[in-house]
Amino acid sequence: MKRWRIDALAAAMLVVLLLASLHMISAAVQRPEELGQWFIPLLLFTVVGLVLLFVLVGWNLGQLLRDYRRRVAGSRLSARLSVLFLVLALLPVSVVYFYSIRFLSSGIDSWFDLQIDSAMEDALSLSKLSLDLHKLERLKLSENLLDAVEDSSQTAVALSIDGLRETAGASEMSLFNLQGKVLAVSHANPELLTPTPPDGGMVQQVVGGENYVGVANGPDGRLLVRCLVLDKAERGLVLQALYPIPQSLSELSANVQEAYEAYRTRAYMRGQIKFSFALSLSLVLLLGLFAAAWAAVFTARRLVQPISAIAEGTRAVAEGDYSKQLPHPKVEDELGLLVSSFNAMTRRIARAHNALQDNRRKLQTQHRYLETVLRGLSTGVMALDAQGRIQTANRAADQILGVELDGLQGEPMSALADVSESLQPFVERIDEGFASGVREGRVEITLYRGGGRQVLLCRHSPLETEADAPPGHVLVFDDVTELLKAQRDAAWGEVARRLAHEIKNPLTPIQLSAERLRRKYLKKMPPDDGDVLDRATHTIVQQVEAMKAMVNDFSAYAKPTKLKPKSLEVDAFLAEVAALYEGGTQQLTLVLDVPGMVVEADPIRLRQVLHNLIKNGLEAAGRDGHIIIGSTGGEEEGRDYVEIAVNDDGPGFDPDLIGQVFEPYVTDKTKGTGLGLAIVKRIVVEHGGIIRAENRPDGGGRVVLRLPAIGHTHTGEPPSVQGGRA
Amino acid sequence: MNAMTRILVVTLLLFSLSLVAIADEGADFRRVALTLSEDGRILLDAEIVYDLNETIAEALENGVPLTFEIHVQMRRAEAWIWESDVVEHRLRTVLRFRPLSGLYELRNLTGEDQLSFATRAAALRALGRIVGMPVIARNELDLDQEYLVQVDVRLDIEALPLPMRPMAYLDGDWSLASEPWEWRLRP
Repeated sequence: MKRWRIDALAAAMLVVLLLASLHMISAAVQRPEELGQWFIPLLLFTVVGLVLLFVLVGWNLGQLLRDYRRRVAGSRLSARLSVLFLVLALLPVSVVYFYSIRFLSSGIDSWFDLQIDSAMEDALSLSKLSLDLHKLERLKLSENLLDAVEDSSQTAVALSIDGLRETAGASEMSLFNLQGKVLAVSHANPELLTPTPPDGGMVQQVVGGENYVGVANGPDGRLLVRCLVLDKAERGLVLQALYPIPQSLSELSANVQEAYEAYRTRAYMRGQIKFSFALSLSLVLLLGLFAAAWAAVFTARRLVQPISAIAEGTRAVAEGDYSKQLPHPKVEDELGLLVSSFNAMTRRIARAHNALQDNRRKLQTQHRYLETVLRGLSTGVMALDAQGRIQTANRAADQILGVELDGLQGEPMSALADVSESLQPFVERIDEGFASGVREGRVEITLYRGGGRQVLLCRHSPLETEADAPPGHVLVFDDVTELLKAQRDAAWGEVARRLAHEIKNPLTPIQLSAERLRRKYLKKMPPDDGDVLDRATHTIVQQVEAMKAMVNDFSAYAKPTKLKPKSLEVDAFLAEVAALYEGGTQQLTLVLDVPGMVVEADPIRLRQVLHNLIKNGLEAAGRDGHIIIGSTGGEEEGRDYVEIAVNDDGPGFDPDLIGQVFEPYVTDKTKGTGLGLAIVKRIVVEHGGIIRAENRPDGGGRVVLRLPAIGHTHTGEPPSVQGGRA
Repeated sequence: MNAMTRILVVTLLLFSLSLVAIADEGADFRRVALTLSEDGRILLDAEIVYDLNETIAEALENGVPLTFEIHVQMRRAEAWIWESDVVEHRLRTVLRFRPLSGLYELRNLTGEDQLSFATRAAALRALGRIVGMPVIARNELDLDQEYLVQVDVRLDIEALPLPMRPMAYLDGDWSLASEPWEWRLRP
């Protein structure tokens, strides 16, 4: 059974029991002879029952108050309805109680007015007077009877007692001596043998000289006149005579006495009677009150329960619990309809929500799939919003740019340059691309970074996200440094191969043929012609040699080299190379600033690079030129590097060619193959370094090569400056 | 009843616990004794002094009958709590005032004996005098056992007129009772 039903049943049973108890109390008041003994137990039971009911009501009210404070759904409506019901029940009950108490009080008071009081007193006095008259008569009779006995002895008097009793018409007559000892007894009823004992006080009064007369109750309930008289003849006798009062007088007196006693007792109990009635009425009031209070709270809660359930259900739905189904009330009323509609609504919402969840799961799966694909790509992908703010990027983008792009989410592109200065060209070129308004573009960007030159091939295209929103951008970029290098290597390899095949091979026959012509015909020709032939064949042989050297240079450039790297202490290595140029006409100065700094390089190749650069510098500086070789250290993006600069005080690089001096066949010299600096660059790049050419502000040219440093020997000497003539 | 016809019961009276009768709320045992009659019955003699307070006296004067009850109980000294009493007597006497005769009337509810007294004091003296109230025949007792005898008197509120009872329960003036008189008896 449901909890509320048990509660209701218990409360109803208690109320019924209390009603029965009150009814029994009422019956006990009306018939005290039969049920009087149950009055107090019933009263106690009622009080205990009312206390229980009070506790029940208090508990219910307490719960209501607790719910109200906790703002439980429906508690406010329950509280309002409870108060309303309670007031509705309380008002009539209170009015009835108030007037009942008043009517009862005045009604009881009206039983005892002054007139009745006085009538009762008068009736009693009348009875007393009538009795007193009768008593005096009997006293006189008794005195006369004793006086009339002339015998002087106690025994003679005792023997005549029967006669005396019969003469006087007494029901009992007895003789005592002055000590109270019985001398003789005479009863009208022969079965009785002992005298009715007089009270000690009565005997004393008589012995004291004052005869006693009073009324006594006979054994059959009839009133008797008791007379005690002292013997005047000094025989030491006391006569007790009990006379029956005449039937009519006795009955009337008894009735008056009974009525008077009853009235007096009631008058005395007036306060108690009022109290008893008020108590009974108050118990009825309390029962009514508590029952009404309990019923009010109970009814209000039952009425509000479906509404509370709906409110709770609504709250649950608002909090995202769409599976909430309310218990359907048994009664098919408007509330039932409301509950059905609510349940239907939540079912639909739950279905829609489930569909939404499915879609979201699918979307998340797709998202994860896409993310996995993007993560697996070696191509960097970056998504930007319409304002150019970074939205997402894949791991390859992080690796290519060398920046943690996750930390820059929502930041503009310029934040990249703030993180790494070397990305400034990247940012600028991308911004230019966006600013140009071209929907899709492709651009090659070269970055100079701590690790060397990096070429990125970028493509940007619009990113349509929402129909109304301006499109964002998607940037896709690849690090093509290695690719370009490989292409170039492949191209130059091809050139070398063709040179070998197409040019180098015929050179030897040409040279041999020229030498043969010279050997065979020089001596046979006249001197003038022979001189011409000599110069011509000499020129051919010389030029063929030059062409061979050129082809060898190309071959050297194109041929893939195998590096044999070793740890080199830069400053020591520079000093060793510079020592070879001591004693020349030109001045060579070392400014070394990275003592103990070590790079990993092939010493033969690096020496070739330095010789090449020094040779170029000496050629540019002229006979009295001054070469300064410097070394400095630095750090970029957490990586140490060493820069070696070869400065000359010559005319410097042609500003038009300065960007391409490291390309093959680019030279401003009249002599040479144009491959010297290209080979230098190639070796530097193969060492993971970069090289740049620039003009010094105070005149002259400078070539700077940067190599990644791998550590420090800590044994290096302090910076030293050496000078010498090359 | 002649005192010579009785032999004072040779009992072990242990007054250790209730040697001194405590005057409590208007009823006071002056003397209590158990005697053995010639025919072998144990009889109770007692003298109780009643002192009615103003409330009770007023009720009496206004015709309210007062019922006094003398309760005599005997049980084995080592009896378990659920064991029934060996004997239990209740002597109920009604005292009332008759306004017409101006007498105080004592009526024994068991014997229907009725006595009248001119004064309240005389009536109360008579009420308090208990002579030769039979308790139990000696041969009904186990002579090896020790018994606990308890006597107490009280005014019976339940016998008051109905309207007075609730107030009588609540009002301390109406609780007229003696401390129980208790002792051990070895027959």
